[in-house]
Amino acid sequence: MATPVVDQPAAVLPGSALARPRRPGTRLTARNALIGWTFILPNFVGFAVLTLVPVLTLFYLSFTSSNIFGTASWVGLDNYQRLLTDKGFHTALGNTFYYAAVHIPLTIVVSLGLALLLNQKIRGVAFFRTVAFFPYITSIVAIAVVWNMLFSPEYGPINQLLGLFTDGALPGWTVSKDWVMPAVIIVGTWRDMGFYMLLFLAGLQTVPAELHEAARIDGASTWQRFWNVTLPCLRPTMFLVTVMITIASFKVFDLILVMTDGGPGRASLVLSHYIYTKGFVQFEFGYASSVAVVLFGICILVTVVQFVYNKRKEA
Amino acid sequence: MKRTTPIALGTSAALVLALTACGSDGGGAGGAGETAEGPVTISLAGWDFAATPEFQTLADGFMEANPDVTVELKEYPAGNDYDTALTADLAAGTAPDVFIVKNLKNYVTFQAGGTLLDISDVASELDPATGGLEAMAVDGKTYAVPYRQDSWVLYYNKDLFAKAGVTEPDGSWTWDDYEAAAAELTKGIGEQDATGAYLHTWQSTVQGFALAQSGADLEGGDYSFLAPYYERALRMQQEGSTPTFATATTNELTYQAQFGTQKAAMLPMGSWYIATLVAQQASGEADTFEWGIAPIPQADESTTGTDATPVTFGDPTTMGINAGIDEEKVDTAKEFLAYAAGPEGAAALAAIGITPALIDETVESTIFGLDGVPQDDLSKFAYTTHETLPENPVGEKTAAIQTILGEVHTEIMSESTPVDEALATAAERVANEVG
Amino acid sequence: MAARPTAVRTAGRVLLYVVLLAAAAGIMLPFAWMIISSLKMNNQVFTAPVQWVPDPFRWQNYADIWLKADMVTWLKNTTILSVTVTLLQVLTGSFAAYGFAKMRFPGRDALFLVYLGTIAVPWQSYMIPQFQMISGWGLNNTLLSIVLLQAFGAFGVFLMKQYYESIPDSLCEAARIDGLSEYAIWWRIMVPLSVPAIASLTLITFVNTWNDYLGPLIYLRDRELWTIQLGLKSFIGQYNAEHALIMTGSVLSVLPIALIFLAGQRYFVEGIATTGVKG
Repeated sequence: MATPVVDQPAAVLPGSALARPRRPGTRLTARNALIGWTFILPNFVGFAVLTLVPVLTLFYLSFTSSNIFGTASWVGLDNYQRLLTDKGFHTALGNTFYYAAVHIPLTIVVSLGLALLLNQKIRGVAFFRTVAFFPYITSIVAIAVVWNMLFSPEYGPINQLLGLFTDGALPGWTVSKDWVMPAVIIVGTWRDMGFYMLLFLAGLQTVPAELHEAARIDGASTWQRFWNVTLPCLRPTMFLVTVMITIASFKVFDLILVMTDGGPGRASLVLSHYIYTKGFVQFEFGYASSVAVVLFGICILVTVVQFVYNKRKEA
Repeated sequence: MKRTTPIALGTSAALVLALTACGSDGGGAGGAGETAEGPVTISLAGWDFAATPEFQTLADGFMEANPDVTVELKEYPAGNDYDTALTADLAAGTAPDVFIVKNLKNYVTFQAGGTLLDISDVASELDPATGGLEAMAVDGKTYAVPYRQDSWVLYYNKDLFAKAGVTEPDGSWTWDDYEAAAAELTKGIGEQDATGAYLHTWQSTVQGFALAQSGADLEGGDYSFLAPYYERALRMQQEGSTPTFATATTNELTYQAQFGTQKAAMLPMGSWYIATLVAQQASGEADTFEWGIAPIPQADESTTGTDATPVTFGDPTTMGINAGIDEEKVDTAKEFLAYAAGPEGAAALAAIGITPALIDETVESTIFGLDGVPQDDLSKFAYTTHETLPENPVGEKTAAIQTILGEVHTEIMSESTPVDEALATAAERVANEVG
Repeated sequence: MAARPTAVRTAGRVLLYVVLLAAAAGIMLPFAWMIISSLKMNNQVFTAPVQWVPDPFRWQNYADIWLKADMVTWLKNTTILSVTVTLLQVLTGSFAAYGFAKMRFPGRDALFLVYLGTIAVPWQSYMIPQFQMISGWGLNNTLLSIVLLQAFGAFGVFLMKQYYESIPDSLCEAARIDGLSEYAIWWRIMVPLSVPAIASLTLITFVNTWNDYLGPLIYLRDRELWTIQLGLKSFIGQYNAEHALIMTGSVLSVLPIALIFLAGQRYFVEGIATTGVKG
């Protein structure tokens, strides 16, 4: 595919995305703002009406005693006060942090590794990429069923394999309070890796080959090239991926719902699940909304930190 | 030997009858117009019409009797999704005129949310023997009426009992007898993956019986009444009389396969399974074997024997009228409810193998007239005679308490937490989170 | 990569393939289980221990799903939705992303954070207010409602913006000096350069719409409007589930996506962006 820029004399230093040139002068600002908004507007109109308005409604609901039917009465901060003493919420919060703390780094490493591996010229790469993406498109019901069977303490192949190496007690996985979180994290990572691999693969296409070439000539090792060439060029993608994984991990829901339904007991109860139960099972929509706002607060806090860190690196 | 499915046959026969009788075209025009109302259309929410013919049956039956009325069915997804989708429609004001309150624990919320019309007048004219009717009253008013009610009974495989040389249940069983028989059966059958009994993973398979037979109060705040039932369930899975909870959940075992393909000789289950088992045996999906139903085992001997009334549990499925219904449709909707919950509706439901809330002699003879249903006296006794208490007593806190007890169920059955400790935690949680 | 044909290298290659193939087999296990289950009788799907070879093979399931169910209607609806949503999302998303990535104006970053913020709110917590609103417009029980729901997501904007940021600003500057308008820069430079990102956004949006369950569940009632996921779920009844047919349908519903992916993944090797900056 011929691109219109090949003959541009702009002699770009490939790393120049890092050093954004400042446009001097403010008279352009107004015009820029106008044009900028015309770009954003088509998406923004749909976004604002269809997503932003309901989300703001949710914020409002979190200050009411709504049961979703009829009229809701304003209760001020009551819902938030209740969160402070609600042990079910505390358990869900703890489990959510547990999931996020392990799942985020693990998934980043695995999916980046996969992307690097499958960005090479190896025979059958199309096949392997498709395979890696398969968990993401396979029915979640099938995923839950198969992994549950693999984890089955009595009949599962995983424990049969582990039994060859140890005589001690084997983990109970999805039916054990201590092992259920590791189990869902493994499945979560397995399921998500193809998705993030895809994002990384797209990002890797922006890493200029000749930079690698230059580094190689300078005698840089594979690791050094990865650390000093690939990673810096991947920064925008890395920001995208970390923010998406962070949010997705804090919001994790459907996988846990079908795999363990939060059990045994509350050992794998997470915030999104708690919100769903409070809302659709117990009809405490006002209270459920306040949990959602807290979840939103956590995500936005982490995202802003990442955003600022990213900006600083960019500057 | 291929037998036709009696249930399916019953359904299609009913359909054909209804269709030829009233030609269910839209508008309901052309009726003789006996009532002054003129043609009326009411909408009815149901789920999964392909596999659940009861809504069509009731609509057809009612339209046949009232030619100027059209009952329009609006289809919702089955399972818990019904509640999710219906909740959305109720909140947005787009729900049908008549809807099923599928889970009893949501009834209070729907009522408190002002989505249900007061239909005490309909309820007062129903047969007081209608199962679950009494419990529907909220502050003396009724907002939904039961039209079907399944009760839990004990299914048993006569062939496996004979093979193991174990005496079949005779209606006198307590849970101790059941436990002993299960152990004997497991040994007597002597096959690797076959067990004496199968206990499905639902919380109701333990808690439903405990609540009904102990007479405890769900909102009482003390859950030690569950202890003996859990201790027995744990003992049975440890002894190998049932598959363990861990195996049943991780392998997603289904009770239809466990009992239907003779992997378990006994199965406590709701009466809805009669129709399923008959159909699956006819289609070849379940093995061919002799089976029967017995009263569910009792807590002690005071309620055992065929001269007593065994205590079991089961939630009625109820029907209510959307509070947002058009004024002029209210009378028709009430008539429909009276029909569905009354003897005519009961007979129509029984004809398709469904257990109505009102079990009278017509219903009994219809159900036991279906091909493939066991004919012994104990089965008839078990089907018709029982005191059925709700699993989810109507109450404001029921939904929240049941969520917590559901968590406790998986905690105990997976042997993550000892029974007493888990039940003590449950009491704490209810106090802390439900108040 | 200049290959030095040493024994070590060859051995390394072979090892790599062995590992890759083993990993592939492991990853495909659930899918294999889906296929196996789709060939079983219903009561054989869930057993302990797992039965890995169907006995008998029930090919009938693959005929039944077309005969007993509205698979054609479901496929049609799902395809209409997926294609429309993907087109809208990619178009509006990449357009807006240019504004966020390459234009500078006050409030830009704050607005972007609002976009990110909404991703952080679980959909099930605001789906009822959203449903009330869309029902208020009389759009519940229409395919359009699902299009509206999915087409303007923040994720597309985010993904495209991040990709545009890795394309050097100097390219835009040069084009501006050449007199190209911002719209022309977007269309003639950014879009061609971002083919890998567009490819991944297309795939992801397509898959998400294809597999969406909760959205159609809330909005679509009529059987004529059902999507594949709704249809498959209808095999799970109140007391019984057609597990084998569900797996048959799942296998059939995964295949189109797998094919699209197989065809689309080649856009990740072209290295379009890098050829662009070759000085």
